[in-house]
Amino acid sequence: MPRMNSFHIGGRIESLGVVLPGDKVLQLDSEDCTKEIFLGPGLRRHESIVYATRSGPLKKTSQNIYYIDNYQRRYTPLQGQFVVGIVYKKKGDNYIIDIGGSEYALLSLLCFENAPKKARKEMRPGELVFGQLLVAERDMEPELVCLDVCNNAVGIGPLPEGGLMFTVPLHVTREILDPQSTLLKKLSSLVECTVVVGSNGRVWVAAQEQRHMLAIMNCLKLLEVMTKQEAEQNVYRYFKKFLH
Amino acid sequence: MAQHACELSFLSRSDGSALYSIGLNVALASVNGPGDVKVSNRLYNRSHLEVCYSPSTGHSMIRERALESVIMRTVEQAILVHLHPRTAINITIQEMQSDGLALSASVNAACMALLDAGIQMKTTFAAVTCCITPSGTVIIDPTEAEIQESVAEATFVFESSGEASVLTAHQDGRLSYEDFKKCLHHCQVASKDVFAFYRRMTEKKYQNEIES
Repeated sequence: MPRMNSFHIGGRIESLGVVLPGDKVLQLDSEDCTKEIFLGPGLRRHESIVYATRSGPLKKTSQNIYYIDNYQRRYTPLQGQFVVGIVYKKKGDNYIIDIGGSEYALLSLLCFENAPKKARKEMRPGELVFGQLLVAERDMEPELVCLDVCNNAVGIGPLPEGGLMFTVPLHVTREILDPQSTLLKKLSSLVECTVVVGSNGRVWVAAQEQRHMLAIMNCLKLLEVMTKQEAEQNVYRYFKKFLH
Repeated sequence: MAQHACELSFLSRSDGSALYSIGLNVALASVNGPGDVKVSNRLYNRSHLEVCYSPSTGHSMIRERALESVIMRTVEQAILVHLHPRTAINITIQEMQSDGLALSASVNAACMALLDAGIQMKTTFAAVTCCITPSGTVIIDPTEAEIQESVAEATFVFESSGEASVLTAHQDGRLSYEDFKKCLHHCQVASKDVFAFYRRMTEKKYQNEIES
């Protein structure tokens, strides 16, 4: 099986080959209770065997977290993730937000910084909001908040007007958000911009001019069709042609 | 066995899609989900599966409804439906070209499209069709002409994991018990090649991960 080692902050990520659903990934030895193994997305345990439930490259981190890093477009809400949502309507004390999943999410009017004060601005349908999923279970309606545990808005909340939002596959958002990735750094060195990446595949970009925003969008979309290294090489070439 | 070919993510707007061909039979499958579902179809503990089959020529009629039902029941065995309650997974299959193996091509296209969409599954599944000639020869992946000349035709869908059980069996014609077992055995052997093909296609899709 082809092996790839890449160095990652916090340890090494080892690639263990491509698997298909139903493949036996691990045989858990019930007598050996000394090793701790964590099963991430795409794996499920049945008795003492771990099976893959998705097709894709099986990866393992140095902390024994196994997961399948597949390519997917459809988002399934997961607790703790930051997502870009579109306001659908206001219902009572909540906003109904479209986060790209099977169900709309609720965002309480009180879950913003400065909520009780008169300074709170009302969001209209169609506006964008960047929030964190507080509740996201398969049996419950997802709930968003625009606050952290200390009730501060740490860069999350309604997004200002004048930006550009586009959708990318989920694995592209993971690649952009990878701490090892230098793509965003390269982009910011070429043009002044704000980039907000939602784990639901939605990315929002704001820059001084519209053509800058389009250029950044196209550079990020390059990750859909080429590897990180190739995309970074192409960024300079793309901007040179675009910013004339 | 006929030549299998597949192109994944053929459609840009679907969550997952696959253009699958077995010889001259071509089927295009598109998967969307888990997504929103009508209140009447909403199930509290699992996902609602819907299959829509469109023939290459003419309107959708009883034959297509029957195929939809067969494909839906096959797919239901493989998808982990209890992970997505109150949602719907829609599979749309368009028959592009048919030379006798419409069911096989459609089922395999559906499997590849589900893999492409990243929907969680217990196992992959592969359909193999065979026919038995009057002289007793079993032909795997026959053409329409060969099916017309044959005594009986059978399609089996196998799963890849566990005991490689039969998920669906569809048989047409007169088959003795021994001949039925012979067809089943030949199809099971051929299904291994189909699973190997799925693996090659998946490795091709993720080749960037392997190389970089």
